[in-house]
Amino acid sequence: MGVSLHRENSLTRFLRWTYAGVDRTLFMGMKFTFPSRFVSPLGFLGMLTFVIFIILGITGALLMLFYEPILDRAWNSVKTINDVIPYGFHLRNIHYHASNAMVMVALLHMYYQYFSGRYKIRNEILWVTGIILGVLTILEAFTGYDIIFSERAELAISIAASLTNSIPIMGPQMRDAFFGAGFHDFVLRFYAFHVFFLPIVMLGLMVVHFPRFLVFDVPMVMAITGAIMLTGGVFPVDMGLKFDPNVPPGITVPEWYLTGLYAFLRSAYDKFTTGVAWPGLFIFALLIVPFIDRYKKFSWKDRPIITAIGITSLAQIIVTTYWGFYIDPDRTKSLLERLVIDPIFLYLVMILLVPLSFGFTYMMIKLAKNAEANAKIQPKKPTGKSSINLTEKWIYGIFIALLAFQVYLNIAAYYAVLNGMKNYSLFIVGIMMLVFAGMFHVFRHARSLQKAPTPKPTMPPMPMKAKAPSLTKTGEAQTGQITDGTKILEDAAAKQKTLASTKSGSSSSQSSQSVNKADSATLDSGEHKLISDEKK
Amino acid sequence: MAQQPSKSGGKVSRRDFLKLMAAAGTVMTFATFVDWGKFLPNPTGQSNERQKVELPDGSQANVNSFQVNHSEAVIYPRSDDPVLNKEAFRTWQFIRLPEELGGKKNDVAAFRMYSMVCLHLWCLWKYWPQDGRKRGECPCHGSMYDPLTGKAFAGPASLQAPPSNVLPRLDLEISADGNIWIKPPNWSVNGNGVVGYGRFLT
Repeated sequence: MGVSLHRENSLTRFLRWTYAGVDRTLFMGMKFTFPSRFVSPLGFLGMLTFVIFIILGITGALLMLFYEPILDRAWNSVKTINDVIPYGFHLRNIHYHASNAMVMVALLHMYYQYFSGRYKIRNEILWVTGIILGVLTILEAFTGYDIIFSERAELAISIAASLTNSIPIMGPQMRDAFFGAGFHDFVLRFYAFHVFFLPIVMLGLMVVHFPRFLVFDVPMVMAITGAIMLTGGVFPVDMGLKFDPNVPPGITVPEWYLTGLYAFLRSAYDKFTTGVAWPGLFIFALLIVPFIDRYKKFSWKDRPIITAIGITSLAQIIVTTYWGFYIDPDRTKSLLERLVIDPIFLYLVMILLVPLSFGFTYMMIKLAKNAEANAKIQPKKPTGKSSINLTEKWIYGIFIALLAFQVYLNIAAYYAVLNGMKNYSLFIVGIMMLVFAGMFHVFRHARSLQKAPTPKPTMPPMPMKAKAPSLTKTGEAQTGQITDGTKILEDAAAKQKTLASTKSGSSSSQSSQSVNKADSATLDSGEHKLISDEKK
Repeated sequence: MAQQPSKSGGKVSRRDFLKLMAAAGTVMTFATFVDWGKFLPNPTGQSNERQKVELPDGSQANVNSFQVNHSEAVIYPRSDDPVLNKEAFRTWQFIRLPEELGGKKNDVAAFRMYSMVCLHLWCLWKYWPQDGRKRGECPCHGSMYDPLTGKAFAGPASLQAPPSNVLPRLDLEISADGNIWIKPPNWSVNGNGVVGYGRFLT
């Protein structure tokens, strides 16, 4: 191929022109950072949640082509997707597992923000919208697994409808308004909620929730995608039994993110209290956290009460989630006896978890502070940063090996499909995504090697966090944020990035304007580091 | 490979090599999703086996019992789904030609099977056996079809450029006991035609 990678042609000119035009839009107000080396995904779990949301949007849109939200056709159409339509199995499994991943990553995101105190200082709106988004995510996942209209879906719908009915003020009216008159309406309306109402509200809230600084780490995004596919290959989601009102349903439990609520419901206490008031109280408590947290510091170690409350909530979530799953395996007992959880026992455990969690938290804080003090006394050990030094030749070798592996995986995935081994092919495609993540990582590393002026052969080639100025242009802004605690807000700095100026090193970020501290809390990258720097 | 005149004497630079490898890696990774495009077309209309010509009364059409100059609506491809079986695109007109067109013969030449979807605006036409008609007529805009070839000879459908003036047609075969079967079709304009679009008359 006689293609030059440097020369300007009409296509690159057109792309550049388009990009310059987009520069004036709202979208470009957000500053994407493409890390030039591995960074902890904890700092950009929100971005990962959004990526999973996009995956769900794409697979869901494709599933809409064959799914029929009609009472007696819903389950059959899903079965057709699963068994007959080529790659329907793949898309359905990706959609299902991505929904679980989204709830999980969103939860991790929330707790990371909670314990690192990032909801403080003008981030309250971000936190509140985040909590609402989390609730909507669970509702979205809930409506999703209901519209297959299997036995389990029917049980879930009946619980949701009866909980709405149990609300003392306007409950029955709300039930009629949201759920409609019967099964036919339930399926159709849940579908409408699932594919339009909830996603559109979520998208609207995301506009508010997105901070201006975003980290888009390609390897991590691809790894998450791969993990979702891999899980789909290993644990394909089943169809369940088609709901038949003449057949008594077997024992089913809801999805894992609702078993906590299910445990309370199974205590057979008043429906409104257990199913509406408790979760409502929990959500309300989360909403007001930034307004009751009056600590001046950010770290979990310096906010004992808040940390203890967080640990308590985690403990209670974990215990009730497991409890909701657990059903007495003794089949000689009656169904009711196996299902019902003794409310006194349940609430006693819930109350007991509070002092236990507080004690645990105080112990952990004490230990952490002790370790910190010890570390200060002792001379700093040379941190054993074992950097792997590979020559460029070896890196190319690894790259080519990965390419060859990718070719093999492509062929394997294709033959797996030809032979009808759907879950195996999905598994392989997941591996391919992971290999791509690895490949991108190697590429990134090699590129940073090439750009480095290679001063001394003994120096580790990777730019160190917060020490050596990053030598790549993409890492430029980020390093600036970390080292000086400043933020590049100037348009000029942003343009440098967008126009891919070849300006090297950190000199430009050093000179950049320092902005007030409050704003710096909105950073999504390297921010935890920044906060702990500020404290000292 | 890259052939730009570089300072290093026409060789591929390290940076270019890395970029090319990255591009190859990206292509290799996402190549697998090309095949996923098979998700989009609905495969339930495909059939590789011959199927009975099943008359509305549930019996299979037979050479010895099916009347001359007579027609019935037949569902093809038949599915387990009653809704799909009502689909216009699965409705076919099974015709035994009138005597003057060779309908007396006891072989496949006496039979025709055309898509009932009018090529004009997708109404359902049907065959009228009365003397003086003996043709397919569409109730919507009066397109008329020749039962021998499936070609529109009057009305708006006849004014459409080929292939949209000839009805899609299914090939038939007769087993030893006289039962009539539909052969697996080739859904293309040069084969059995595309329902609602047409067929080239060969």
